[in-house]
Order: sequence, then structure tokens, then C-alpha cells
Amino acid sequence: MKNKAMKATPDLSRRDFIKTSAALGAATLASGTGRMFAAGSDKIRIGLIGCGGRGTHDATKCLNSSENVELVAMGDLFKDRLDRCRRTLKSNLPDSVQVTEEMCFVGWDAYKKVLACEDVDMVILTQPPHFRPQHLKAAIEAGKHVFMEKPVAVDPVGVRSVIESSELADKKGLTIVAGTQMRRISHLVEGIKSIHDGAIGELVGGQCVRLGDGMLTWGQKERQPGWSDMEWHLRRWLFLTWLSGDFIVEMHVHNLDVMNWALDAHPVQCVAMGGRQVRTGPEYGNCYDHFAIEYEYPNGVRIEYMGSQIDGCTNRNDQRIVGTKGRAYTDFGRVVIEGPGKVEYAWDNIDPCIKQHADQIAAIREGKRLNEGKRIAESSLTSIMGRMSAYTGRALKWDWAMNASKLDLSPAKYEFGDLPMRPVAIPGKTQLI
Amino acid sequence: MKNKTNPKCLVFAQHEGFLHPERSRRVSRRDFIRTSAAAGAAVLASSTSNIFAAGSDTIRIGIIGCGGQGTRDLVSCVKSSPGVEITAMGDLFEDRMKESLDKLKKDVPAALKVPPDKRFVGFDAYRKVLQCDVHMVVLTTPPHWRAQHLKAAVEAGKHVFMEKPAGVDPKAIRSMIETAELAGQKRLSVVAGTQRRHSKKYQEIIRRIHDGAIGEIVAGQGYWNGGDMLGYWKWYDKQGLSDMEWQCRSWPWFTWTSGDHIVEQHVHNLDVLNWALQAHPVQCVGMGGRAVRDLGNIYDHFTVEYEYPNGVRVSSMSRQINGCTDRIAERVVGTKGVADVDRGVITGEKSFRYEGPDPDHYVQEMADLIKSIRDGDPINEGKNVAESTMNAIMGRMSAYTGRALKWDWAMNASKLDLTPAKYEWGDLPVRPVAIPGKTPLV
Repeated sequence: MKNKAMKATPDLSRRDFIKTSAALGAATLASGTGRMFAAGSDKIRIGLIGCGGRGTHDATKCLNSSENVELVAMGDLFKDRLDRCRRTLKSNLPDSVQVTEEMCFVGWDAYKKVLACEDVDMVILTQPPHFRPQHLKAAIEAGKHVFMEKPVAVDPVGVRSVIESSELADKKGLTIVAGTQMRRISHLVEGIKSIHDGAIGELVGGQCVRLGDGMLTWGQKERQPGWSDMEWHLRRWLFLTWLSGDFIVEMHVHNLDVMNWALDAHPVQCVAMGGRQVRTGPEYGNCYDHFAIEYEYPNGVRIEYMGSQIDGCTNRNDQRIVGTKGRAYTDFGRVVIEGPGKVEYAWDNIDPCIKQHADQIAAIREGKRLNEGKRIAESSLTSIMGRMSAYTGRALKWDWAMNASKLDLSPAKYEFGDLPMRPVAIPGKTQLI
Repeated sequence: MKNKTNPKCLVFAQHEGFLHPERSRRVSRRDFIRTSAAAGAAVLASSTSNIFAAGSDTIRIGIIGCGGQGTRDLVSCVKSSPGVEITAMGDLFEDRMKESLDKLKKDVPAALKVPPDKRFVGFDAYRKVLQCDVHMVVLTTPPHWRAQHLKAAVEAGKHVFMEKPAGVDPKAIRSMIETAELAGQKRLSVVAGTQRRHSKKYQEIIRRIHDGAIGEIVAGQGYWNGGDMLGYWKWYDKQGLSDMEWQCRSWPWFTWTSGDHIVEQHVHNLDVLNWALQAHPVQCVGMGGRAVRDLGNIYDHFTVEYEYPNGVRVSSMSRQINGCTDRIAERVVGTKGVADVDRGVITGEKSFRYEGPDPDHYVQEMADLIKSIRDGDPINEGKNVAESTMNAIMGRMSAYTGRALKWDWAMNASKLDLTPAKYEWGDLPVRPVAIPGKTPLV
């Protein structure tokens, strides 16, 4: 039973589909909520906002996930990135990439122009994480379904905005899927379900460890003459906290999202440490290269997270949940439950990056609610609060971060000009805001 | 009082007295001498070793390492038990010894009996102290020297109080474990300054854990997140000092002398975890760095995941940075409850809160040691503290190199030896700050 998700769509005949769509349109209208999707049409048209490596990847997966999906509009801050992405997509998927020159937009307002295209049913949001909350808000207000990459914010102000937009999406009958594809890996789904069903008893602890390479070859290291500070930041966004959230937010949100999922909760508080011991050059912006965090979940359950991006170290990527009757372990190739009995869940080989798009396209067509906005906002805040604790050296509580923190990393203005880099955080000195 | 009774009864009576400092004042000198003599006889009769103080009511102590902690330990020792005298002192530096003498004169004048010819200075001061007629030595030089001093002390037949940690590298740990065995053969007491082991509160909570109060242990945490230690740990500007003198005086800030703070300080919490789990780790992976600190070559933060037998993982956090949230604690998680060991609290099926007395741990450890000597019933903590120190050392090695590593490898195969080429007042370049992924695992 390989590629269940892939098979589902072709089985749907065109006539059936149009019928479903029409019914859905009526249902949506009747409930008074949102936009009428593709009534009378069998196509779903996609706009891509953020044409970097991940945007290219996600657009490809999306177009491959389901029949009758077309990419029709693209936007990016930089023309060279957009052109490269467009060329790649067109050569790989000539039929489903139908982006005319007039539907390519570059610059700070490119996202608005993509959203203004009436043809576009759904957008893929893949600019650097900093922009996600504002892009999501604009997309939902424009009545578009949204696939957005993780993380969805870099600060609590952004997290709150994402939660508001997600609530609005529900009111408007719009779907939101977040690029946390771990949620669709079959063995994680089954393994975590068995944890929730009590396979290892009551949960009392856990570990989340992701030690990986230093990402030193990422992007272009040399600053080009003529680049403003802003352009330099954007081209090196991975290493600037205001753009990426730092790697614990940008990448390890995947792992922390799995912890929240397994524990069926978000943390109550955390205490963290971290620093940059190896990636110390200016080309690595102001992000750290290691974090260690203790998250306390409800009922005093403590979870230890360790994450690093340093070359030449022992690599690990595994997670474990400890219960009163056993423990569950995953290295992402499988899930092993060691409870009263031992059970191993293996991967069904369905590409979760395809499945997440297939699920969304199906939900749109079937008029089903599918909204992962709040959940990914919470996982992003889990990462963000860990970073805040490591940067400042201060323990902090979820409720404070969610409701009271005023941290907002936005620059004063979005323009290609001067933008001094914030200094690397120093625990005990950097303020908790 | 007839004196022909079973010596064990006398020993027991003495036990009562010496465990409780207040009560011990009531033991008359005559009673004491009698008891000691009986105890001495008992020891002789029972076996091999050094005959403690037979016919004498005094325990004579030498100190090797007259810094702040050494001086405090002496004061605690004198306060812990009657009949303790300080009779010999050794240190690398004359000025440090004088400071120590001044403080001892103020705090424990009656017990201070160190004539000028029993005050030794220099790299061989420890040998000279060990040649003196002392029953026991207090080993409180920087951790780098502990293992070699312990070896010399035990070979010389002295009982030992030694501060933690046990060493700074695996080589020292191997030496200490050997020496601890020798001490056992010679029936010498070796007490380590992991004073939580002598706390009534800790003892009660750990006893309950061992009795199953929290079920099977499945996880744990140890923390020493505190301040930067400036003002407490001495720092000397280099100025005209030789490299060696500068580093010896500023020893906490250099890995070869202190082992770094995870070893020097956090070993306390790691020791409690080993005690609670009745095991040492099987393997670990750690991380750390210097986010703030610019003195010496030690880190200012570490986090280590220790895996114990049966896959039980325990986490350790240690930080020395001002202005951060502090936490010094040990916690053990079981299938039936949680023990907050430092708070004396067990929560779960068998909830418990320790509300009994918990006398000063620093005094208690000395009282227990002196009593063990007088009873001829040695306490030997050498292996415990060597193992706890090894936890800390392997955590540091993992953080410094970025490599996961196994206990067996560290204990048996690691060649790490931070000893300088020679002990003399000369050049000694500072080793660079470790860089994970680059610093080799040796």
C-alpha cells in the first residue's frame, strides 16, 4: 500500500470532483463563512511567496501531490532568486507551472501582488520566518488557503499574530497547513497514538536531542559590493535571529513540535543555556551554535532538549518519551515502544512532504476544516521561549511569553538600507523583553 | 567503672558521644582516654592497620593546601569533635599559609599547634607534612594534585579528608581508585568533601529511594546554575608572575588545575545522582562553551545527558554566569513518584517531607570521619568520589570535543593527562579554550 495519498486523487473522476466542488461551494456559502473555492472549476491555483530553496521544494511537492494543481504566481524579494526558482520548476514540471511574466513579482510588496491575483486559491508562504505572521495575515484576509513553512514566527508578537490569523481562517473556512511534515510520518502517527493510548503509562520525562553539522556551506558567505545591510541580512537570513529565529526555532521546531505532540501539551516553563563556540565569524550573523533547554510540561514533567550545529561532533537526531510503564524512542526512521510489550513501527514510505500537500488539497476540495495554525504557533513559541531563556539566562514561563512578552524583532522599516546587526546575545546581560 | 566489658559497648558509647557535638562535651577526659584505649586495642586485635592514637586522646592533623576551602575544612574539623589538633601545614605559597594561620588563630586558637618548623612551602611541602607525626591529613590543594597527594598520604599511612573533586583527568581517577583500594587494605579512612553524603536529610531521602519509595528510577536531573564565582574564586593578574605561579594561584580558572567548574563544583550534584542511582553512567553526550567568561580557559556553561544502566537518562546543567536564573538541585524521577532530593521531599505514592535535624554538612562529614578513626571503623569514600568526578570529567570531555563517549573508554582507554611537563616556577603556556568539533578526544 505505497503512496496511498498519491492514489487517492487520480481515483477521483473529473465529474465527481466538479460535483463535490460545487456542493462544497454551496455548503461554504450557506454557512456564511468564506470564499467559495473553485466552484465549477477543477483546478487549484497556487501562488508561491518566497522562492528560495524551500519554496522551490514545497512548490514541487505540492504540484506533485495532487491532480489539477497549477502554480500561477510567484513573488520574492529578489529577482535572481525568483528567476532561478521559476526556471527550476518549469523545467521539472512544465505542465503544472504556468507562471507568466506578469505573474512574477519582486520586492517588499511582492506578496501583496501575489495575494491580489484573483486566480490564486492557495499560497505557499516560504519567505524567511520573520515574514510569516504578516504574510499569513494578509493571505487569510485575502481569502487564500495557506501552506506555510515552519517556523511561523521568530518572536511572541509574531506568534500572537499567527494565532489570530488562524482563528480568522476558521471563520472564513480557509485551510492552513504548516510544514511540520513529521506530523505525517506514518510511524510517528502510529507510535504517538499508542503513547496517547497509554502504551507507556503516564509520561514522566523525555529527551529531545538533535546534534548536527554546522551548516557552514549554506548560502553565499561573501558580502557583495553594493549590498545594503538589509540585503546582506536577507541573503544570510538563516544566521540572523530577527529573520530565522535562530536554528532552534528555524530547524529544531520540528523536534519540539514532536515533543508537544507526544505530550499533547505545550511547556509550562523552561530554563536554557547556549552560546556560540564555533560559528563565531560575522558571516554567521548573531545566531548561536548550541542550545540546551529544560522544558517543564504540565504535572512537572521535565523534558531535556539539546541542539547544536557544529561540524565534527557526534551527530544525533532522536527523541524519547519516558513513562511509568515503559518508554518510546524514535530516530525518525522508526518508533520503538518499549512498554509491557515491545512494538516497532516502521515507515510506510509515503513521503510526508507530499502527503501534507495532498491532505490540504483534498481538504480544500472536500470543504473540510484543516487548520494547523495554532498548533504550529505553539510549537514555534516552544522554540522561541527556549531561545529567549538561553539568550538571557533567565527561566521563563509560557504564560508570560505568550501573553506579556513584548519581544518584537522587526526592523524599523523594510527597505534596502542600513541595518546594524544586533549583538550576539549574552546571557545575564541581554534583557528579557 | 569496671573496664573489662566488651569493647564494642564502649565503642558504641563513644559513638553516641562523638556523633552529637553537644553531648560529646559531657564525655569526661578520663572516659575518653579509656574509650580510646579500648578502641585502639580493638583495632589491634581485629587486624592490620595503623593504630590510631592508642593511649592518646588527641588526633593530630596536617593540612596540605591552605587556601580558603582548606582553612574552612580545618575549622569544621576542629568544631566537629573534641581532641583535634592542627600540627603541620603545607602549601605552595607562604602568603597563603599565613592568611590561613591568621584565620585559624582567630577561629580555633586552642587547636592550632603548628610550630614554624612544621610549616612547609613549595611543590614538596606535601611530602614534608606527610613525614610529620600526624594521624590524618586534609588534602585541599587544587584538584589537579589530589590523586598524587592521596596516594602519598595513604602510602604514608595517614587517614585522609580530601576535598572534591578527585582529579581533573581519567589518569588521576584511575590512580585514585587504586589508592582507595590500598586505603581499604590498610584500614584507613578516606572521606571526600562531597558533604551531601553526610547530610541527614539527603541520607533519609536516598534511603527511601533505595527502599523503593519512588518505584523504579527512570530519569533524573542535577543542576548547579549559579554565579560567575569572581570574588570567591581568586583571580590574580599575571603581571610579574611566572606562568606557573599565575596559574597555580588562579587555579579555578584553568582546566588543568581545577578540571573546569563542571568538575570542580557540579561534581556535588553528580555525586548525589550516582548515589541515588547506585551506579555510574554508561555513556554521555555534552555541550558547553563560554558565553560570557574571559578569564582562564574554562567554560561558563555545560549541559550533559548521562545514560545510566538500563537506558536511564539523567540530565546535568551547570552554569557560572551572573544575572541568570540560579538553581542548585538534584531530582530523581521514578515510576511511582519524584524525589526532590535537595529539598528533602518525595512526591507520589509515598509522599514524604524530611523535617528532622540536618546539622551543618561540613561539620558532620568531619565528625563522621574523626569518629571512624577513633572507632577503628574506617569510612572509605575514595571510589565514590573518584567515580562522581569521572562523571564530571567525561561530561567536560564530551562538551570540549563535541563527541559522545563511553564510561569504559574514558575509564580504561582515555590517555588524557593534563599534567604539565614539570612542576616549577617557569613558563607554561595556557592551553587554548576548547572548541567542540576541533579539540580532539584524547
